[in-house]
Amino acid sequence: MRLFEYQAKELFKSYGLPVPKSVLVTDVDGVRGAFASLKAPVAVKSQVLAGGRGKAGGIALVNDASQAEKEAARIFGLAIGGEVPSSLLLEEAYPHDAEMYLSVTLDRGDRSFVAIAAKSGGVDVESMSGKVMRKIPVEGASQGFADEVASQLGLPSGQNAQFSKILLSLERLSREKECELAEINPVAVGKDGTLMPLDAKVIIDDNALFRHPEFSKLHPEDEFEGEASRQGFAFVRLGGDLAVVGNGAGLVLSTLDLVGDAGGSPACFLDLGGGAQQERIEAALRLVNRLPGVRRILVNIYGGITRTTDVAAGLESVTKDGKSKPVFARVSGAEEEEARKMLAKTPVKLFRTAPEAVEAVVKSR
Amino acid sequence: MILPKKGDPVIVQNITGRYGRLHTRLMLDYGTNVAAGATPGKGGQTVEGVPVYDTVADAVGKSGAKTSVCFVPAEFTLPAGVEALEAGVKLLVIITEHVPVRDELKLVQLAQSKGATIIGPNCPGIIIPAQKVKLGIMPAPSFTPGGVALYSRSGTLTYEIAGQLTAAGYGQSLAVGIGGDPINGSTSIEWMDFVQGMPETKAVVTVGEIGGDAEERLARHISRSGYRKPIVAYVAGRHAPKEKKMGHAGAIIYGNVGTADSKIKALNEAGVRVAMTPMEVPALVKKALA
Repeated sequence: MRLFEYQAKELFKSYGLPVPKSVLVTDVDGVRGAFASLKAPVAVKSQVLAGGRGKAGGIALVNDASQAEKEAARIFGLAIGGEVPSSLLLEEAYPHDAEMYLSVTLDRGDRSFVAIAAKSGGVDVESMSGKVMRKIPVEGASQGFADEVASQLGLPSGQNAQFSKILLSLERLSREKECELAEINPVAVGKDGTLMPLDAKVIIDDNALFRHPEFSKLHPEDEFEGEASRQGFAFVRLGGDLAVVGNGAGLVLSTLDLVGDAGGSPACFLDLGGGAQQERIEAALRLVNRLPGVRRILVNIYGGITRTTDVAAGLESVTKDGKSKPVFARVSGAEEEEARKMLAKTPVKLFRTAPEAVEAVVKSR
Repeated sequence: MILPKKGDPVIVQNITGRYGRLHTRLMLDYGTNVAAGATPGKGGQTVEGVPVYDTVADAVGKSGAKTSVCFVPAEFTLPAGVEALEAGVKLLVIITEHVPVRDELKLVQLAQSKGATIIGPNCPGIIIPAQKVKLGIMPAPSFTPGGVALYSRSGTLTYEIAGQLTAAGYGQSLAVGIGGDPINGSTSIEWMDFVQGMPETKAVVTVGEIGGDAEERLARHISRSGYRKPIVAYVAGRHAPKEKKMGHAGAIIYGNVGTADSKIKALNEAGVRVAMTPMEVPALVKKALA
């Protein structure tokens, strides 16, 4: 789960990390008061999860209250990657000469957490020059660890101790809150050499949320994503008109590829998970039928432990009143012939292979 | 890494749960010797005729098993895994999905210090058709004995591709789901090296997906090590969006890291035949073996 910048910065504060003074506003009416409580110039920052916020015009530097209101009104209406902000962060600008990079993240290949730091910040971590990367022991980073990273970076004297302190706080936050990523990009280097985190990106390990109930209420939930998650489905909205449903993440992912290759536009990815029984198929089809923009539904089931007759019963029950969006299905596996007989009497269009089903559903526009 | 042979005893952790029970029966039906089960507080019961013990140590002690299949829920997978490794289990197959990544790291580290192997978590397990050994939840009819070693980050995609290989006349020397999480107990590189030493394996099929750089690392490993067996790969997610978790915790593209295009390019450059769809895999295996 990715936190908004303002949530991540609240977390930073509770771990003793410095952050510029800021106020969160949820509508334009609050902007004037917020601006008055801060020292100009002030950055007005869109609170969206999508990347590339600055480039998309989601951040503006303002010097007076009316300018702040004008920019806030603009940014409140600005969708970034399809996402419209429900709040803005007004933050005191921090004059600085240079920008650094720092993160604590999972190195999947090495199967460990690592600290990554660079003297010059940037957009692309992969190609950052002079990058220092160091494996963090399971028990956490020590003072010695942080000092080593600082000295490898070759910071000017006077910044070493500051940097070590920031790294140690960030690492403790990452470990205790079970983050997949805790990133500060950039860390500003002020005119007097003081280090100040300007942005904050924190992603919590979804699988560890049961140990961190404090995060459970942080996000306004999308209605459909919320329902899918209560049903135990893996679900991602994709914006097209063809709902893609299947059993198994890899199978659905490969079905999206077939749809994409055939020129179709998926509305969603929905993985039913293991042991997909009749009720789960029904719940999934009802959900995607209600999803805005959906015009057709593609179902791809490879029945292993899942019995295809259960799948057929679910499809039958949802489509029998004729109110479902058209369903194109490939149902393969145990008891397949029996399932085909059941579905022959329904409006479901049935295919032997996934490519056949995909071709038919994409052409049916 | 030592895999069980025909008739070797194995145990099931949380054998009394819904999935533990169901799959104990299906593993027994396949011919796998599930010799004992463990669930705290349920010692003395039997499941499908298999005796249940309170602790893994007892289940291992009474059965002589070195292998465990773990169906313990994610919240308790770490202590259950530690219990198994401390009790002398050398092959720990963790089926459970949604295990926190820091718990996985602790288990991997402990397994390494004990000389044990973990398969998973978040995986269907491993099947060795010629030995009638099935450690996990895969549907038996998709698999048949033969010369293709198949390993994958995805469950149903493994069944789908195994089913198509079987239909095309290519059986499997083994099939492993290495897991859909960012961390795998045993990696694709470790499996690649393991099957190189299996004389019955004539070709290798590796199934990857978006997220991380395991396929890129594998490609480098293949080039550097001068891998000798023919390899066919498939990578799911060419049309996946960025920054979205596509079902598996590990299937996510961050920035430019983890795209299918990057993986396919790396594998192609290492001389691996890459299928664009799962349906193309059997034909490429045929070519690779020609």
